[in-house]
Amino acid sequence: MATSSVYTPAGFNFSNQIRNTFLQERGVPLPKATSTGTTIVGCLFKDGVVLGADTRATEGDIVADKNCEKIHYITDSIRCCGAGTAADTEFTTALISSNMELHGLSTGRKPQVVTAMTMLKQMLFRYQGHVGAALVLGGVDATGPQLFTIHPHGSTDKLPYVTMGSGSLAAMAVFESGWQPNMTRDDALNLVKAAVAAGIFNDLGSGSNIDACIITATHTEMLRNVETPNERVQKERRYVFRRGTTAWKTESVRKLIVNEETTIIGGDAMDTS
Amino acid sequence: MNSLAQRFSTTSPLAHFRKIQRLADEDEDVSDAAWGSQAGFGSLTKGVPTFTVPNLPDPTAFLRLHTDDHADPNCRIKIQHGTTTLAFRFQGGVIVAVDSRATAGSYVASGTVKKVIEINPYLLGTMAGGAADCQYWETYLGIHCRLHELRNRERISVSAASKYLSNLVYGYKGMGLSMGTMICGWDKTGPTIFYVDSDGTRLKGDLFSVGSGSTFAYGVLDQGYRWDLTDEEAQELGRRSIYAAGHRDAFSGNTCNLYHVKEDGWRFIGNFDISKMHYEGPGDVPGAPGGGYGYALRVEGKSSANPPVAEAAA
Amino acid sequence: MSIMELNGGSVIAMVGKDCVAIASDLRLGNQALGLSSNFQRIFPVTDRIYVGLPGLGTDVHTLWEKFRFRVNMYTIKEEREIEPETFAHLVSSTLYEHRFGPYFIEPVIAGLAKTPSGGVKPFIAATDLIGCLNFAKDFVVAGTASSKLFGMAEGLWEPDLEPEDLFETISQALMNAVDRDAYSGWGCVVHVITKDKIVTRTLKGRMD
Repeated sequence: MATSSVYTPAGFNFSNQIRNTFLQERGVPLPKATSTGTTIVGCLFKDGVVLGADTRATEGDIVADKNCEKIHYITDSIRCCGAGTAADTEFTTALISSNMELHGLSTGRKPQVVTAMTMLKQMLFRYQGHVGAALVLGGVDATGPQLFTIHPHGSTDKLPYVTMGSGSLAAMAVFESGWQPNMTRDDALNLVKAAVAAGIFNDLGSGSNIDACIITATHTEMLRNVETPNERVQKERRYVFRRGTTAWKTESVRKLIVNEETTIIGGDAMDTS
Repeated sequence: MNSLAQRFSTTSPLAHFRKIQRLADEDEDVSDAAWGSQAGFGSLTKGVPTFTVPNLPDPTAFLRLHTDDHADPNCRIKIQHGTTTLAFRFQGGVIVAVDSRATAGSYVASGTVKKVIEINPYLLGTMAGGAADCQYWETYLGIHCRLHELRNRERISVSAASKYLSNLVYGYKGMGLSMGTMICGWDKTGPTIFYVDSDGTRLKGDLFSVGSGSTFAYGVLDQGYRWDLTDEEAQELGRRSIYAAGHRDAFSGNTCNLYHVKEDGWRFIGNFDISKMHYEGPGDVPGAPGGGYGYALRVEGKSSANPPVAEAAA
Repeated sequence: MSIMELNGGSVIAMVGKDCVAIASDLRLGNQALGLSSNFQRIFPVTDRIYVGLPGLGTDVHTLWEKFRFRVNMYTIKEEREIEPETFAHLVSSTLYEHRFGPYFIEPVIAGLAKTPSGGVKPFIAATDLIGCLNFAKDFVVAGTASSKLFGMAEGLWEPDLEPEDLFETISQALMNAVDRDAYSGWGCVVHVITKDKIVTRTLKGRMD
């Protein structure tokens, strides 16, 4: 008994399943989870790959987070953009990142992007689309720059330029008109920025800032908030209330500083002369 | 086949409508437009205003699908339901008390709704269910009460007025009207209350409460109700009942509007903030106990969970 | 009817200058019927971390006991107090463990993190019911009044509020939001956490 409450096995816990399906059968809808109704993109260029993402997270029609991070770390030279159920993209990429680290240590080599791709697609296929992660995976390994998309059910694509999420159509339009083979690093970054911006401004599910990540054989550069086209202007008025505005009934103060007082009870004071 | 039979049957509500429309068409030679604005009430000579009914074999079923959220919670037209209204008859007349909250889902859309409709100086109607339905039909009822006065040289009885309303809404039964109302007034027979709702129910009684908070209001009302209540006691009972409902029911609250109907017509007693009644009481009004209604005052300093102020400070 | 609306309740947390505040209403209801006006849904995790758990009443207690157990295990194993950010990840993974049968809770975390220089840094975070973390720099909200709280906080919040000003801002944001929500209200409680004390006040809110 004691061990059963202390030890919890790894993986998902289905203990609330019976209760929750009962509720669902009674017609109670499950609350909405945070999703990233996102624009995520990636494109290959001469010496590497550029990934891009917007920074809006939504809960239904509410913007839950105005500046979230959607480019997740996999290894030093592999990154993964996530769209779909936010918690799923967060935890799947974290799990694969840690498995990639272990894989790297056991093989003694720098892991390949296809390895991460295979791990991700096998995991997503196993969960039959219930883990709602739509990913853009990019990186550089011994075989050169690599770029993949992985769909929630586990299918994958390998393409020179890809987009995903609700803003994918707007972003793809930019890629289709502007992408060229063997672009320079600056051209590729500008194209990615333009593609994400198209998503931010034309898709309601995407918004706020642009994150980008440039991966080359020698260096990975994470450009957090590389562009902030939706900066909020200074408020024209302050709404600070005069102290004492709010009427309250009771107050209790928990002091964290312990006052220590020393009282000498007996004996002479120490000779300090 | 069924719908075909219904179309020509003379008893179905649909037949009723076709009849009304036919009557309206025949009446065209005496256009009311000549009298200026019809104020949305159409021709009074036609007896019943004619609404455009969906041009379908079975308009009732169609309207139920889109307006009646009892049958289908996903219907398009949302009608506000949360309310507490009450009225009771006693030695000194009729007390009418209502809350003032309007909700749309969980959102408190307004806290200053007038849920008592002043039909004329002797008649009051309360509002529960669809605000627009209550407002429109009770105003319309007011027109007919006045016409009755002009025709018969005497005021309409509460009984007749309420029956007029109940017959009216019965004609639209099943088409999505939503109202639960109390028609209150003073006529030849004395103080009278009739409960009328959109199902067509019409009940005469001494004491009614309608709305989502009605159970809470009944709790206080039943406990304190007597026929020989004084005016002050009766007003206080109405106020206290609405407070109880406003406190416990999520869809009732904000303020209480209190009316007193006597032989010479109704009188507005006042508007009372429910939260203020909780902490401080209704203020300096006749019948007020002095001090708030909230139970905090009643337990303070009387149990270990509510120690006296001095003790708590120590 | 949504599960979150069964018992009602809302929580908000805000960052100030070297302080954070977390506040919630005190209502526990059964749909429209109010049951308790003294339902505490904010709990102290350590001296400098508080967690608010709006959502289904039964899960408030279940989940809090689970967090308490895990925080105690952490403290014993690590022989130190948990940091706010670590606790946020503990909350997140506990909820994600139940990805396919979630607890109906959207936790809000507020605390002061220790800096290497010995100072404190305000920290707030919120997660959805399956543990997606949202680290905000200004404010986080959750519960049945969340949409109204977003509006209030977006309008009233400003950077670097002193503890006493933060108390006024968070209190006004919360009280005015829950007054527009049928399922929240019935009194409020506010905790303002500073470096050397935590001030807890119960507010005189509307009782209808």
